[in-house]
Amino acid sequence: MKKFFSGKRDSESRKLVLYLILPIFIMFVVLLQTINLTVINGKKYETQSENNRIVSRTIYPTRGLIYDTHDKLLVENIASSQLNLVPERSSDTSKKIKEIADLLNLEKSFLLGIYEKQIKKPRYPFQPITLAKSLDDEQIALFSVSSEKFKGFSVETGLVRSVVNKQSLAHVLGYMGYSVSNDVNKSSNFISGNQVGISGIEKTYHDQLSGKVGTRIEEKDVSGKFVRVLSENNAESGKDLKLSIDLDLQNFLIPFFEGQKGALVALEPKSGLIKALISSPAYDPNIFNSSSSLAEIQSILSDHEGPLFNRATMGNYPPASTIKPILGLAALDEGIVDWNTIIQDDGEFYVEGDPRPYRGWKEDGHGKVDLEKAIVESSDVYFYSTAYDLTIKRLEPFLNKFGFGGKTNIDVEESNGLVPNEKWKLGYIGEFWFKGDSINLGIGQGYMLSTPIQISQAIAVIANRGEIIKPRLVEEIDESPTELESLGKINLKDETNWEKIEKSMIEVINSPNGTANNIKDTRYLIAGKTGTAQIKSYEDQEYEDIRENPFFRDHALFVGYAPIPDPELLILVIIENGESGSRVAAPIAKAGFDYYLTKNE
Amino acid sequence: MSRSPLEFSLSSRMIKPNRWLNQDWLVLFLVISLVSFGLMMIYSASSSVEMVLRQGIFAVIGIVFMIYLSFSDYQRLLPIYLNVFWIGIFFLLVVLVIPSDAATRRWIDLGIFGFQPSELMRCVLTISAAAFLSRNPRIVFRDWMIVIGVSFLSFYLVFIQPDLGTAIMVLISGILPVLISGFPVSYQIIGIVIILLSTPFIWMNLLDYQKQRVLTFFDPSSDPLGTGWNIIQSQIAVGSGSLFGKGFLQGTQSQLNFVPESHTDFIFAVVAEEFGLFGVMGLFLVYLLLAFRLVMIAKNSNFLFVKLVAGTFIFLLLTYVAFNTAMVVGILPVVGMPLPFLSQGGTALIINMIMIGIILSFRRTV
Repeated sequence: MKKFFSGKRDSESRKLVLYLILPIFIMFVVLLQTINLTVINGKKYETQSENNRIVSRTIYPTRGLIYDTHDKLLVENIASSQLNLVPERSSDTSKKIKEIADLLNLEKSFLLGIYEKQIKKPRYPFQPITLAKSLDDEQIALFSVSSEKFKGFSVETGLVRSVVNKQSLAHVLGYMGYSVSNDVNKSSNFISGNQVGISGIEKTYHDQLSGKVGTRIEEKDVSGKFVRVLSENNAESGKDLKLSIDLDLQNFLIPFFEGQKGALVALEPKSGLIKALISSPAYDPNIFNSSSSLAEIQSILSDHEGPLFNRATMGNYPPASTIKPILGLAALDEGIVDWNTIIQDDGEFYVEGDPRPYRGWKEDGHGKVDLEKAIVESSDVYFYSTAYDLTIKRLEPFLNKFGFGGKTNIDVEESNGLVPNEKWKLGYIGEFWFKGDSINLGIGQGYMLSTPIQISQAIAVIANRGEIIKPRLVEEIDESPTELESLGKINLKDETNWEKIEKSMIEVINSPNGTANNIKDTRYLIAGKTGTAQIKSYEDQEYEDIRENPFFRDHALFVGYAPIPDPELLILVIIENGESGSRVAAPIAKAGFDYYLTKNE
Repeated sequence: MSRSPLEFSLSSRMIKPNRWLNQDWLVLFLVISLVSFGLMMIYSASSSVEMVLRQGIFAVIGIVFMIYLSFSDYQRLLPIYLNVFWIGIFFLLVVLVIPSDAATRRWIDLGIFGFQPSELMRCVLTISAAAFLSRNPRIVFRDWMIVIGVSFLSFYLVFIQPDLGTAIMVLISGILPVLISGFPVSYQIIGIVIILLSTPFIWMNLLDYQKQRVLTFFDPSSDPLGTGWNIIQSQIAVGSGSLFGKGFLQGTQSQLNFVPESHTDFIFAVVAEEFGLFGVMGLFLVYLLLAFRLVMIAKNSNFLFVKLVAGTFIFLLLTYVAFNTAMVVGILPVVGMPLPFLSQGGTALIINMIMIGIILSFRRTV
């Protein structure tokens, strides 16, 4: 019996070990699974572990400020309360946006539009989309009361671009908005959800203004709480811009355009620096910058007077008589006329074998006219004749040299203008070139179109004795001056013609017969040229009938620079349907000269 | 039960002359190493000195018990061992009777620490069962049935706490002595069939959270932020540990609390994350070496009691290790099972060390 109490008891020992096989087997499987997790799928789990704890945050730089030439602040960033949405945290988002729009009295379609546009763009996870800016106190209160209902939505403080002087520099500065194009990825500065410059300086200098987006790699714990910063790539603030615009001059000149459509360019001929740039009517860029009201934006977009349109750089006008000094240079250079050539002006010009008269603006004509008199009194017949003799083959390349039909390379959006030729006419109008087309070109009419900035650049060439200077709006980027850029030099066979043609332009103001004699000043000399651009042909009608409709009235132009001999400022004025270059446009330029040239005294 | 007097005094009884030198120092060393390593891991997982201190106090109490028992004369203690399970039953009833706000009734609050009667039960049930089965030279069938009955009663008392994991371990701690002592194979098969047939009944009696755990085990990603979270995050922790680990206190998954319960049931995830695959292999080697030394003690004894107790204890030890780690790496469902000597928890630690102490005392008599 004792055997049961003691003894080898191998059977029990064997069973005891046998049962241990089960847990040891499971431990073996655990080891295999551990190898599977660490060795075979190690990379995957390492990544998941990193994703768990690491969060990358985008640090938005502050956008550079914009100043005028006297360091007056033009554009700043102001704090505003904005409605943000983190789509990852919300559900049933479209419906919630509608509800929140109702609650805050915002426009549903507007918020939905922003959301639908932004959600399609590349975005960091959990990066908020800004749905509305510039919320007022009441809206903030309304939201915070029912914020529980709107998961993922929040009201946060952000920076909004704000133009200090509202309308006065709208076309120069431009506005901010959400980029429409899809090639936003080309530049790292185009982060979705962040506004970009849509027009004006804001667009051209977007890269400099926006600075560099920074990132901060943070460690977070399971509840998403910040633990520590792992690495930081600092944001670089945008660069400040100093414009050449003289805000005082700009604001002084704007009232002259009250209730009128038109444009003004004032620049320093030597440097190309633009001192004033007006396009009337204007708009308030802050409506776009804060992008809070669809109704206000719609009313600007649908305004038939086109306040968004920058007439100074994009408006296409016939240069009219302002082009005559340049055509005079062309005729001299091509040997068609010299300073002594006399042409009889009886008020009409005829082409041989064509009974149709080309009328001058003065019914009885100017009598015997030489080149100087033709410019001073703006004889149309003289230039009909020279243009007829020059023909389009010689006219077109000469005008192109002065920048007509091309770009001035100014740093805001601009149009090309148009210098017609045979090929163009056949292609666009479907007709052959007539001699009459060249004749019309002689007074800057017909098919020719040019922008105010183009005419200004071309006339500045005379002031600069052939040097073509690129007009520019930005004087300094982050304290370092921008460079003067010459786009080439026009050489005349006789270089003294520059000075002689300028003398004729001085006489336009100084001579008692000059078309702009009304702005003569004894303190300084102005060289200039008036222009009156016909926009409706009046072959069969008298102008008196046409002018019944204000929209068919002639445009009034004046371009001039002063003081001679060392011009500091060139001013071009165009008043749409203003009728008279000398009576309407020239006095505005004169006011500008007076203000600019005498204010330092 | 007391019909026949217990005859535990035996002529072959032999106490080795030098009590101090005759000790399995390696086992003591391995256990104390594991406990110390556990304290390190608890610190890494919780960053709480207080928690480490509390566990340290339990460890000291456990070591005292272990060493004291290892020098004890188990033969003298047999009459006590035969009846210790009553204590276990008593506390299991107490824990069910004590009113509690908590959904589960596993703890008896003793003020400074919580006492877990189910842990005690799996120890005392084995001891009493082994003593009961070896009290007579020959085991009669009725003895086995009594032990099986008591085991299922104990299982039920733990199961309704509810604590499925520990309940199964309690059941094993009572059934295994029956199986090792030669329960006929034919009856074993009948038993397995009965258990399989009752599975649907058990499933119906599982609580929702228990069912959910079993379901998410089969598809953790079905509920990645709910029940599946534990499994996914602990797998990430183990996987990202790679070969050598991220280093002590460097495990981001556990340091940043992505792994839940990282100082208790999921402490193995911390070990794997901070010490890698080689750390895991080292830990397993320590457990296996410990088990091997304990098996040698059982094999060298001629007493049925020793083999039943040691065999069951070793099996329980390795089963805890196997189930716990299998749960952490995601090959078994999540059930509440601590990792022996490492997981934070006073009762389990002290009980495990008592069990080691009792096995060590078997060396004294062969």
